[in-house]
Formats: sequence, C-alpha cells, structure tokens
Amino acid sequence: MTNCIEIKGLCKSYGDFALKNIDLTLPGGSILGLIGENGAGKTTTIKCILNLIRRDSGEITLLGYDNVREERLAKADVGLVLDECFFHDTLRPLDVAKILAPAYKNWDGELFRSYLNKFGLPEKKLIKEFSRGMKMKLSLSAALAHRPRLLILDEATAGLDPVVRDEILDEFLGFIQDEDHAILMSSHITSDLEKVADYIAYIHQGEVVLSDAKDSILDSYGRVGCTAAQLEAIDPHDILRTRRGSFGCEALVKDRAAFSRKYPMLLVERTTLEDIMLFVGKGEEK
Amino acid sequence: MTGLMMKDLLVMRKALKSYFLIIAFYAVLAWMDILNFGFIITFIQVMLMVLPISAFAYDDQAKWDRYAMSLPLGRSKVVGARYLFVLLLSLCTLALGLGGAAFSCMFQQEDLLEMLLTLIVSAAIGLLIPALLLPVTYKWGPERARIYLYAMLLIPFVGFLLLAKADLIDFSTLNRLGTLPPTVLIGGMALLPLGALAALFVSYFISCRVVAGKEY
Repeated sequence: MTNCIEIKGLCKSYGDFALKNIDLTLPGGSILGLIGENGAGKTTTIKCILNLIRRDSGEITLLGYDNVREERLAKADVGLVLDECFFHDTLRPLDVAKILAPAYKNWDGELFRSYLNKFGLPEKKLIKEFSRGMKMKLSLSAALAHRPRLLILDEATAGLDPVVRDEILDEFLGFIQDEDHAILMSSHITSDLEKVADYIAYIHQGEVVLSDAKDSILDSYGRVGCTAAQLEAIDPHDILRTRRGSFGCEALVKDRAAFSRKYPMLLVERTTLEDIMLFVGKGEEK
Repeated sequence: MTGLMMKDLLVMRKALKSYFLIIAFYAVLAWMDILNFGFIITFIQVMLMVLPISAFAYDDQAKWDRYAMSLPLGRSKVVGARYLFVLLLSLCTLALGLGGAAFSCMFQQEDLLEMLLTLIVSAAIGLLIPALLLPVTYKWGPERARIYLYAMLLIPFVGFLLLAKADLIDFSTLNRLGTLPPTVLIGGMALLPLGALAALFVSYFISCRVVAGKEY
C-alpha cells in the first residue's frame, strides 16, 4: 500500500533557521503526531508539504503524487485544518460550501451539512459570531466534506476546551478506521497525541530527533529520579538527557528495562511525550 | 475558480449591496435632473478601483491566501479567480451604464453619443487601473497598493496640469474630436477598453509570476 505521506531529505533554510534533512513516513490507517517547541519547524514542514513555501531540497509525496509537480492531484484528497479559521467573518457556514464545492471534485454537500448538524453549528449564523471551538469544528467539517484520504492538522486542537478536543479527537479516530486514510497532526498538546497517535515525530531546532511508534516510545523510554551523586555514578552512555533542579536530578533513558537491570537501586518511571520534550528542550547531555 | 469568485462576491455582498443602492439613488437623482449621468459613471469607476483592493484587504484580514493556496487549484487559478472577479464587476457596471444611458435617452433626450463615449472611457479606465494595481497588490499587499492607487490617479493629473500650464499640451485639440463622424468616434474610442482588456491579460501573467515566487 502507498504511504499517505513520504518525506525524504527535506531541507529548507531561512538563514537564521533551517529544516535539516527531514525524513517522515505516514502509512495508511494511522496518525502521525508531530511534536516540537514553538519555532522548531513543525509548521514549516507542513508548509513544505502543502507547497506553500519552496523547499531547498528533498522530496515529498502525498498519496503517491509529488507535491510540486503533481500538486493538484496530490492535494485533491487532502483535508486541511490549520491553526486558525481562514473563513472570513462575514461568511456563513453555507457560504463555505458554495466556495469549496467547485474546488473539490468529491465535495459532498449533504455530508457537509451532516457534519454541521453533528457539531451543532448553525448553517446561517455569521462566522464572526462563532466561538473558537465552533470555528475549528467548521474548519474540520469543511476538511472532511470532500471525503479526503489524508487529513493535515496544524495545531487544530490548540485553545479548545477538553470537551471539544475530545469530540474532535473521536472524529479523528473514526476517520482512520479506514485503512486508506491517515492523519498528520501537529500539536503542542502531547496528551492528545498520546490518546490518538500511532507514530510520533519530534522536531527540535529543525531536525527530527525522535521518530518511532508511539507505543514503542512510551514503552521503552523512562525517567529516572535521583540525587546529583547518583547521577554522577551513571554511565553517560546509559542516559540521553539530564535535568538538574533544586530538589534533585532527573535523567531520560531510552531503554527502561535495560536501565533497571543495570541500576536496580534507581527507580525508573514511565515517561510521557511532554517529559521527553522537556528533557530535549530544557535538559542537557551528561 | 468559480468558488473563489463566489467567495469574493459573498465576502463583499454587503458592500456591493450598498454600492448598488447608492447607484440606484443617484439614478433617481439623475432622472430628476439633480445629478448628471457623468457623475454616476465616475462613482462607478471609483467603486471599480476600490473593490479589488478591498477584496485583498478582506483576504489579508482572514489570512485567506494561505488556505486558498492549499486548495487543489494551483496558484494561477487563485490569481485567475481575482481577475475574473474584476472582469465580472466591469461587465456589471458596463451593463448598468448601458441601461442608464438607454433610459436617459428614452426619457430625457440626453445626448447618446456623449454618454456612450463617457461609458467607453470609463470602462477603459475601470479595466486599466486594476490591470496596473493587481500585480502591485500581489507583490506588496493592499495597504501599500492603496498608496500606489493614489499615485496612479494623482501623478497623471498633476502631469497633465503641469504640461497644460507650460503650454506643452493643448486640450483644445480635443474639440476636433467633435468634428469626426459618430461611428468613427465610437469605433476609435472602443479601442480604449480593448487595449485595457489586453493590459489586464498581460497583468494576469505578471501577477501569476509574482504569486509563483511568493511564500505563504
């Protein structure tokens, strides 16, 4: 089966910031969560995928089509929800259907209306009267109404309350029940990705520093709490990053089970994606 | 592309409604001999100049371009939709003008030739200004384009004024146009909007080039 997204050796330089050799693969029937700090390169990667910015080198295919040479084919089955609602305040949800229907050959007006109903969005209300949650639901309805095979979401759940986020995450899980469908989801809310993502790619300062199956990451990585003296005694090869605080030290380990066997006196806990981000973003190498 | 044209119409429906109401009001005033036909044509012309920039300003506010360029249309079609919107506006205003001219001739015995010439020149300017303005707006955005619009209007005006003052240009020669047969006059003047249309066509390709080099 064709991968829904394949990125090989993607490079893009802005002078003071650069994406360096990004390699990512998103197989069908799965969700790839893209995590990273602000300015790490998540949105730049998504912009390259959508051909909104010119890449310096590398290759990107969407649903088997080159995203530059075969742009229209590549984007025909892609649904998009970005961090903001791009529909003008003076429009109404039904206007959005009139605008987007001619752009997508598979646009299904009935499906769009059914999503509006499902999300409780009034068809004739002005978008400027919508809350942020309603705007994101509208963007999602528009993204799903042409029956896409790939959803690209850039901070789509940011700023939403947990109830709305949960509702939208359920929709995503329903979407990938079809093995032909996939979602690329960039988010700061790592707990959302822990709930729904199958794969995680962590971009740090323009580079992919971690890319693996989510379960594999959460099952193998661990966090060790210890004193400064205990930290000094650990072989630097056994830990990835460390953090030193006024109440003690912490270390990130890649293989929790192996570490426990080697250092039975130290307690190794399961880690979260947020912990990993904090270790990489704020921690240091031993 | 039709969806994007529809977007411009929907986003500006309130402004368009207001403009059409004002035009209707002016038409009534013209019928009552309070305003003349030329004033209405000038108003429509100003409207034609302002609306495309307003469309860009609305898009900027909604950050629409990033979304539009993500659609499976290609950049040239997004640009094409804006040009078609301008053409659609021009056609609508031309139709309004022709309707107004016919109405005035039937009920007020106005000079049809003069009205048609006003309409032709106005249509030409209405196409020429966007032809110059749209690539500028794509390149530098609507805020700076407004400044260029004022410059486009002011510089030729001041230029002609200075040339006339220096006796380098003699506007009285324009009176000789009145001696030409009406068919020759209208035929010759009809080249103006056709030239402006050609300029709009060239302008489209320039805008496509500008947009192709932009990052969103």
